Amino acid sequence: MAEINRERWTGRAPFIFAAIGSAIGLGNVWRFPYLSYQYGGGVFLIPYIIGLFVLGIPWMMMEFGMGHYFQKGAPGVFAGIGKKWEWLGWWPVLVAFLIVNYYSVVIAWTLRYTLSSLTVSWGMGQAGAKAASDFFFKTILQLSDGPGALGAPVWSTLIALALIWVLLYLVMFRGAKVIGKVSVWLVIIPWVLLVVLIIRGITLPGAVEGLNYYLNPNFADLFKVEIWFAAFSQIAFSLSLGMAGMFAYGSFVTRKSDISNNAAIASFSDTATSFFAGFAVFSLVGFVMQALNIPIDKVAVKSLGLAFVTYPVGISMMPGANALTGVLFFLCLGFLGFTSAYFLAYGGVIAPLMDKLGWTRTKATLTVCIASFVVGILYTTQGGLYWLDIIDRSMSFYGLLITGALACLVVGWGFGAKKLREHLNATSDIKVGAWFDWMIKVVVPAALLFVVIYGGFRNDLAKPYEGYPLWAASMIWVVLVGTLVISFILQSVKTKTEKGGEPK
Amino acid sequence: MTGGAIVSAIIIALILLGGLGFCLSRLGKGGKWED
Repeated sequence: MAEINRERWTGRAPFIFAAIGSAIGLGNVWRFPYLSYQYGGGVFLIPYIIGLFVLGIPWMMMEFGMGHYFQKGAPGVFAGIGKKWEWLGWWPVLVAFLIVNYYSVVIAWTLRYTLSSLTVSWGMGQAGAKAASDFFFKTILQLSDGPGALGAPVWSTLIALALIWVLLYLVMFRGAKVIGKVSVWLVIIPWVLLVVLIIRGITLPGAVEGLNYYLNPNFADLFKVEIWFAAFSQIAFSLSLGMAGMFAYGSFVTRKSDISNNAAIASFSDTATSFFAGFAVFSLVGFVMQALNIPIDKVAVKSLGLAFVTYPVGISMMPGANALTGVLFFLCLGFLGFTSAYFLAYGGVIAPLMDKLGWTRTKATLTVCIASFVVGILYTTQGGLYWLDIIDRSMSFYGLLITGALACLVVGWGFGAKKLREHLNATSDIKVGAWFDWMIKVVVPAALLFVVIYGGFRNDLAKPYEGYPLWAASMIWVVLVGTLVISFILQSVKTKTEKGGEPK
Repeated sequence: MTGGAIVSAIIIALILLGGLGFCLSRLGKGGKWED
């Protein structure tokens, strides 16, 4: 097949690091270790590894491979399968856009925390430990009473958000060439920081107790449906699939280059990062348990509280290097989040816009950065955390899982899983067998729909999500259906580029 | 650490690093990557 004119990675390493950077993110540090602790310790890794092989790696190969085949972002890929399917490429683009709007605000919080850590602003010792929660909810977020009370934007977060988008623009406006080079450093630096944090963590008194909670296997949990649901959903979230970006990242790879091995390397690296991040987090949880003499269920290990409350508690109580540990931890979080943010924005949104509308990279990048910043202002308000939670449920759960399942079905049955496999095997280091076809056609969509139905509809249709008022919880469905409708509208817009995204 | 936690940690690390090592050992075996 002839090489076409499209932007390219400058080499294999930049592509692999960009793919790893897109996969590893904030969730590796706070969500994976928590799930492992909650679902049987080390036993959680059994369904997780199974999920990695039967769901994560085939799905990533599919997204990379289809982008590589059509040399386009997600909408171009599905338009290539059949014009009537183009909406299925736009839906994950909108999912990526709405996710990066709030994801960038979380990175802005990490920036604020990095600065606050310099002086351990929430306080030292027992007083600091008690004040850490208030510091997050009252000082950083200035949290209101509910989603109906938006209040004013928190100006320091808004300024940090603006800075984040300026930095994202500077990385993205030159395209894959710069993204690849920057990714090499932005992946290696947090890995080094994680190693430092692990060493710091395991040398703290009480660390062993936390690690026991994290790793001690409870085999009885293996027979619970919940553990399989949790493992499969975490695989989907963690690998950044169903967010359109992997199609574009795959499309920047030259025609004769490997896809399958790169997908496997990115997937294994992401899982290994999660696993080792757990050592840094749970050694500190053990230390907090001992320092405050409290059981683990009293330590806030769930959700963002783990990063923004529990870790600061630990920093306050540490016998030394408090500020340094805080700065390193939040820098690490910030770097992890940053690589995922430009993946979402560039691969997920900017590249598809350039493919469709023939916009220059500068114009598309500037438009997306400004639009994301403006929408992101919602999450910097005093009621922003509630809306972050609601939109996250809508997009990061339903959006990516449903679009992922549909994409696999259309590729598997419409385009042809065998055809994709033959394309992958023509240039890849690792040859995939016929098992791949059935993974894409049946197993991956079935697993994703199982998660949507069992972990989503079953709960959210019975009662409002997280006890929010019905009108606020209903926004989960409004946004989900709204993005679907917009996807069909975008499908009807005339495409202004040839294959490869070059203007006609 | 308890024995279970240690064994668990070692097995998981071996699977993940083993998988990664296998993939890295295959780099270039397709023979068509120009870096």
